[in-house]
Amino acid sequence: MSGRNEARTEPRIAVYVCQCGGNIGDYVDTNQVVHAVKDLPGVVVARHAMFTCSDSNQQEMIDDVAREHLDGFVVACCSPKLHTFTFRGVAERAGVNPYRVAQVNIREQCSWTHTDDPTGATSKAMKLVTAGVERARLMKPLHPIEVPTTPRVAVVGGGVAGMRAAIALADVGLEVHLIEKEPELGGHVGKLGAMYPHGTVGTELVHRMLEEIDRRPGIEVHTGAVVSAKSGTFGNYRIAIESVGLRTEVTVGQIVVATGFDSYEPATGEFGYGSPRVVTLPEFRRLLDEAEGPIVRDGRPVRSIAYIYCVGSRCGDRTYCSRYCCSAAVHASLLAAERDPSVRQYHLYRDLRTYGRNEVMFGESRKRGSYYLRFADDDPPLVSIDGERIRLTVHDLLTAGAELALEPDLVVLVTGMVPRANDELIGALKLPVGRDGFLNEIHPKLRPVETVVDGVLIAGACQAPKSSAESVTSGLAAAAQAAAVLRRGVASLDPQVAIVDSGACDGCGECIGSCPFGAIEMTGTGGTVVATIAAAGCKGCGACTPTCPRNAIDLQGYTDAQVRATIAGLLAGRAT
Amino acid sequence: MSTLIAAPLDMTVRDGFDAEACMNCGFCSATCPLGVPILPRRLFRYVLFGMDDAVRAETETIFSCLLCRSCEQSCPAGVHITENVRLLRGWLLREGR
Repeated sequence: MSGRNEARTEPRIAVYVCQCGGNIGDYVDTNQVVHAVKDLPGVVVARHAMFTCSDSNQQEMIDDVAREHLDGFVVACCSPKLHTFTFRGVAERAGVNPYRVAQVNIREQCSWTHTDDPTGATSKAMKLVTAGVERARLMKPLHPIEVPTTPRVAVVGGGVAGMRAAIALADVGLEVHLIEKEPELGGHVGKLGAMYPHGTVGTELVHRMLEEIDRRPGIEVHTGAVVSAKSGTFGNYRIAIESVGLRTEVTVGQIVVATGFDSYEPATGEFGYGSPRVVTLPEFRRLLDEAEGPIVRDGRPVRSIAYIYCVGSRCGDRTYCSRYCCSAAVHASLLAAERDPSVRQYHLYRDLRTYGRNEVMFGESRKRGSYYLRFADDDPPLVSIDGERIRLTVHDLLTAGAELALEPDLVVLVTGMVPRANDELIGALKLPVGRDGFLNEIHPKLRPVETVVDGVLIAGACQAPKSSAESVTSGLAAAAQAAAVLRRGVASLDPQVAIVDSGACDGCGECIGSCPFGAIEMTGTGGTVVATIAAAGCKGCGACTPTCPRNAIDLQGYTDAQVRATIAGLLAGRAT
Repeated sequence: MSTLIAAPLDMTVRDGFDAEACMNCGFCSATCPLGVPILPRRLFRYVLFGMDDAVRAETETIFSCLLCRSCEQSCPAGVHITENVRLLRGWLLREGR
């Protein structure tokens, strides 16, 4: 079944069994595993090592290739998630095709899972490694698919994150389409006054950015426009930009999504919201930004202010911390103290997080007439409104839980960020949405701007609550990521994709619906119609292969023959 | 029964009473050789919230402080705790009854 008796040149394979220190070696007898596979057809080298990924062992592998003229490796160690690229790199340096490396996971699948049964773990490892050898014997050299890319980027969202990304991309010589739904660029920051921590004025910052954009002919700005459709494959996407009934199609190499956030809107009656003297943090900022001198609200002077933190955040469905609001509220209180040094300000908070250097503002505010009162998670302040009078009661944990009351002239609800309703774009770009409703990156630290959709990057507060400075930083990160791909001119894609044997395909079209990436289409060649798979669009998932009634589709690297050989190896693997 | 927060009590010496910087860490209480029954930080909040009756109720404690400054030595916010206690004694002499 595995083709063992076929007349063909047997590849020369080396098997390395890793002890991973004691991670594998304490439970799996690696010596026995080596013995079980060393005489299998094709195996010319078999040995174990303390750490196969170590520099010294990597060098031994390279030396083995030269001495034994190896065609491929089987490395039995940890998860391929950890070291696929390590061992592909070793192969490349040794002159072996990197796609002729089979990694077998005997750590997560044997030693770690069967700590109570070393004999069983060893026996399982023998079967898995035998199966790996059988798979490796059928491995063919593969070469990355090189796709020319379009040196143009679509930036969706013209707030500070999107604008900064557009400027950075233009500066590295890429064309940019900056697409904004609103009639003007600028987003939330474009309407703001002084921002923490450096007092940069939002309107001025956006004005400067607009000038920078004007100065760069490579940036084409589309306002009042949305992205309504996307097609094509990695490095060459077609997107449709719709603006007042006009539809333009452009080809772009990468797409940066920076669509921002919405502010939480409290329900009427939530902490007295609806009363003219209860405002949200953004409303309070407008109150501070739009006038000078002593603060007046609703025709009355404001001599005392109470802030209620975490309104709409960390409760109900919104379990996340909105991150920016503590610092923003503390900063607003400093602005209020500047307008009127005699104003008394009371901050009612659950947990205060003025992270990093924002802590300085927190200290400063305490010196300028701000008092902080802490309430318990399950005991928020009560707001009662009796005509002209607003009364807040709170159990202050910092005054030994004493019940204190306040009668402030103004209540500020410190509201956070909520994900922006953006179903059309999310549908058009198939954007991944997290449980909190914000867009999801692949990994918050290791791949912070990439999404599971190749070539679609995210930046700014569409990803999670962020301050303006953090949004700009992530806009620059997305620009760097897009430029890193596009400045090369060609993208190297994984060659482990599905291919169609056009001689066997009868053009039934069964496979088309099975592809989650829309990479299969029917094309005519000499009167007959056959399935063609766009290599740049295929992700190698294998969903199409079993749907073909004529077995005309094979997944390179995981061919049907290899899968059969793997199963045969599992069944044949000698157990003690 | 809740206490309505009012303007801070007038400690007479302008800018002398500096408990605003207190961040409620508790170092002061931990190092007090007398183990005063009321935490300085709580006492100072009574002052900041204008709770004069609560301050008067602690007259004994305020006068039992040794003014040894061991709390002040360990205060990370740099609050002049003993000076504040002296100001409180002055206030109690004026407003105590």
